Amino acid sequence: MIPAMDYHQGSRGLHRVGPGSGLLLLACLLYAVLGASSLVVKAAVLVVVFGLAAWSEGSAWAWCKSLRFVVLFATLLFLAQILAIRDGLVLFRIGIPVTTSGVLSGAHMALRFLVVLSSSFLFVLTTDPDDLASAFIRWGIPYRYGFTLILALRFVPFFRKELRTVREAQRLRGIQTSVRSIKGIRRAIGYTFIPVLVSGLIRVDTIAMSMKGRAFGLHRRRTLPAPRALTIEDGLIWLCCVLLLAGMLLARRLGGS
Amino acid sequence: MRELSVQFPGREQRALDHLSATIQSGQTIAITGPSGCGKTTLLRTLAGFIPQLIHAEVDGEIRIGDQHLSTIDLAQLSPSIGLVQQDPDAQVCTLRVRSEVAFGPENLCLPPQEVQSRVTQALNALGIAHLAERDTTTLSGGEKQRLAVASILAMQPSVILLDEPTAHLDPEGARDLFDLLGQLQQATACTLIIVEHRLPPLRSLNPHLWVMDTGRLVERNASRVHEDIAHMARQVAVDRSFPSHCRSPQGTLQVDHVSFGYQEALIKDLSLTVEPSMILGVIGPNGGGKTTLLRLIAGLEDPDEGTIVHSEDMTLGMVFQHPHQQIFERTVRRDLEIDGALDESQLATALASARLSGLADAPPQSLSLGEQRRLTVLAAVRGAPDLLLLDEPFIGQDRDNVTWIVEQIRQARDRGAMSCLVTHDIPMANALCDRLLYLGDQAILGTPDDVFNQLREQGNSAFTPEFWEIAE
Repeated sequence: MIPAMDYHQGSRGLHRVGPGSGLLLLACLLYAVLGASSLVVKAAVLVVVFGLAAWSEGSAWAWCKSLRFVVLFATLLFLAQILAIRDGLVLFRIGIPVTTSGVLSGAHMALRFLVVLSSSFLFVLTTDPDDLASAFIRWGIPYRYGFTLILALRFVPFFRKELRTVREAQRLRGIQTSVRSIKGIRRAIGYTFIPVLVSGLIRVDTIAMSMKGRAFGLHRRRTLPAPRALTIEDGLIWLCCVLLLAGMLLARRLGGS
Repeated sequence: MRELSVQFPGREQRALDHLSATIQSGQTIAITGPSGCGKTTLLRTLAGFIPQLIHAEVDGEIRIGDQHLSTIDLAQLSPSIGLVQQDPDAQVCTLRVRSEVAFGPENLCLPPQEVQSRVTQALNALGIAHLAERDTTTLSGGEKQRLAVASILAMQPSVILLDEPTAHLDPEGARDLFDLLGQLQQATACTLIIVEHRLPPLRSLNPHLWVMDTGRLVERNASRVHEDIAHMARQVAVDRSFPSHCRSPQGTLQVDHVSFGYQEALIKDLSLTVEPSMILGVIGPNGGGKTTLLRLIAGLEDPDEGTIVHSEDMTLGMVFQHPHQQIFERTVRRDLEIDGALDESQLATALASARLSGLADAPPQSLSLGEQRRLTVLAAVRGAPDLLLLDEPFIGQDRDNVTWIVEQIRQARDRGAMSCLVTHDIPMANALCDRLLYLGDQAILGTPDDVFNQLREQGNSAFTPEFWEIAE
C-alpha cells in the first residue's frame, strides 16, 4: 500500500503558504524536534503539526490516512526501545523489566519519528509541486531537476492506481498472493511487480516523448510562471518561525530546552 | 516523404516500407488501416521521435519545405510539428491544467505575457478554460484529450499529428473534437494528419483518406474503407431472440435500486436485470459511470445503496481496458494456465482460436496490443464464465480483432452466458446487444431501438447509429 502522499488542492491554512515559507516551517519544526532534549517540547511540536493539519482544510483527512503506517512504525520503535534498554528504574515486568530509561528513550525516538514524517507529509500534501519546482528553479536549480520532482510526484498517484487495478485483476482471476512462504512472496512480487513495471515503462516512454515533443531541453533556461503573491499566512508562518527559533536559542542559553 | 522505410531492431519486417507521399500545407489527411500496419510509426517518424528518441533504422527522406527532417533536433522541431499521442492521460507532464498548456511555450522561452496569451487562446479554443486551475489527475478522459490537444495547440505548430485522438472519447466528444479541429484549421491553416479507426466523426474535416497495410500506403482517397466499415457493422448483426435451451432462471443478474458515487453520485437508483444469453451494452458519455457499473457488478466496489443479486456460484470473466494490467506470467502458456492446467492440444486449440499460434512460450509483454487484447479475452472466456464483463474491448483494435472479440461474445451468448459490454462503438452496440443501457444525466434502459429513439428525441444524435453511418 502506497500512502496518499501526493498534493491535495485546498484554499485554507498551509495551502495559502508559498513553497519558501512551507520549507522554512518544515525546517524549523525539524530543528525543534531534533534539537530539543525535552520530551515536552517534542510533544508540543507534534501538537503544533496536528494543529497545522487541522488548519489546512481539505488535506487533514488525507494526512491522517497517510499517518497510519507512520503511527504503526512509531509504536514498534517505542516497543523496541523498551525491550532493548534495561537501565534505570524498573517500572514493571512483562517477562523482562520495563525501565524508565527504556520508556523515555522509546518516547523520544517515537516522537522524533512521528514529527519528522508527519510534518514532511503535511508539506507534500499542501505544497503545489508546480509552485515548488518553479521556486527551486528560481533559486538556481537547473529546470531539468525541478521537473524531475514534478514527474516523481506525478507518478505517485499513477502507481497507486495501477497497483489497485492490478490487484483487482488478480482477484478476478482468482490469483491468491500469499506471503507466508518464499515461493508465495516471489509469486506475489512477480504477479504485481511485472504488470505495474510494464505500465510504468510505457508511461515513462510516453511522457518522455510528450516533453521532448514540446521543446523540453531546447534552451538552457525556460520561462517561469510569475511567483505566487505573499499572503497573510506567509507572514504568520515567518513570524512563528522567528519566535520558535528565538525561543529555542533562549532556552539553550538559559541551560534548558 | 520519399522512399521512407523504418525498421526496428530485432524485427524482420519493416514497420514502414518505401513510403512516398506529399502533403500540402493546410491539408487534412486521415490514415487508417489494420493494427500494426505502421500508422503510429509513421506519425512518430514525422514528429522526429523515430529515430531521435526511439531507436530504429530509417531510410529515405522527409522534407518540410526545404529542410530535411534528419537535420533538425527533436526539440527544435517541436514548434513546427506537434504530436498528440493516443493515451491522453499518459502524456500529461504537470499537475495543473494551466501549467500543462504553458509547458511548451515556457520551454520555448517566450515572454510571460505571450505564454499567458497562448494558454488562454488554447484553453478557449478547446472549451476547457473553466478547468484551468484543476488538478490534471482529476480530469475525465474527454477532458484529458482536450487538454492534450490544447497543450500542442499552444505551441502553434504548422503541422498537428493526432494518433487515434478519439479512442478514449464518447461519440459526442469525438464529434466535438473534430468540429473544433475543423474550426482551428480554418483559423490557422494548419496541416492535420490523423490516425483513426473510427472514421465517421471525421466527416466534418473532409479529409484525404489514406489506407496503410504492412508498412505501405496502399490506397489514397479510398472509398473502399467506407464500404468496409458499413459492411462490418452489418456483419455483426445477430439474432436477438434468446436461445430457449439456454434459459436458466437461477442465472440472472439483478441490479436493484443501486446508487453509487465517489465524490458525487455517479449511478443513481439504477435497476436492471440481465438474463442468460443476454448481451447488455452500456453506452454513454465519458465519466457517466459505465466502468463503475462493471466494477459494481464484479464486486470491486460496494453500492452505496441498493443491491446486486446473482447466484452464489456464478463465475465471472472480466476484460479490462488496458490488457497489460491483466497479464501476470512470463509466458503466454503460463498466463493461460493461471485459470487451470492445459495439455498441449488444448493449448494449441486455444491459441489457434485467438490467432496466437506459435506464441505459447513468448513473453506476453512482448506481444502487440492486439495480441495482448486477444490473450486477455481468451483468458476471460477460457473457463466458460456465466458472466462476461468487457470494458471498452475494441479500443485500438482493427477489424479482424474486433470480429474475433465479437465472435467470443456471441459464443458466450450461445452457451447461455450473460455479457455486459461497455463501448463507445455505437454501431457495434446496436448490432450486437439485446439490451442497451445509456448512462448519462439520466439512465435509459431498453432495446436498442427504444434507447436510440429516446436519445433522438433528446437531440443526442452522436449516440445514435445514423450518426456513424457513412454518407454517400
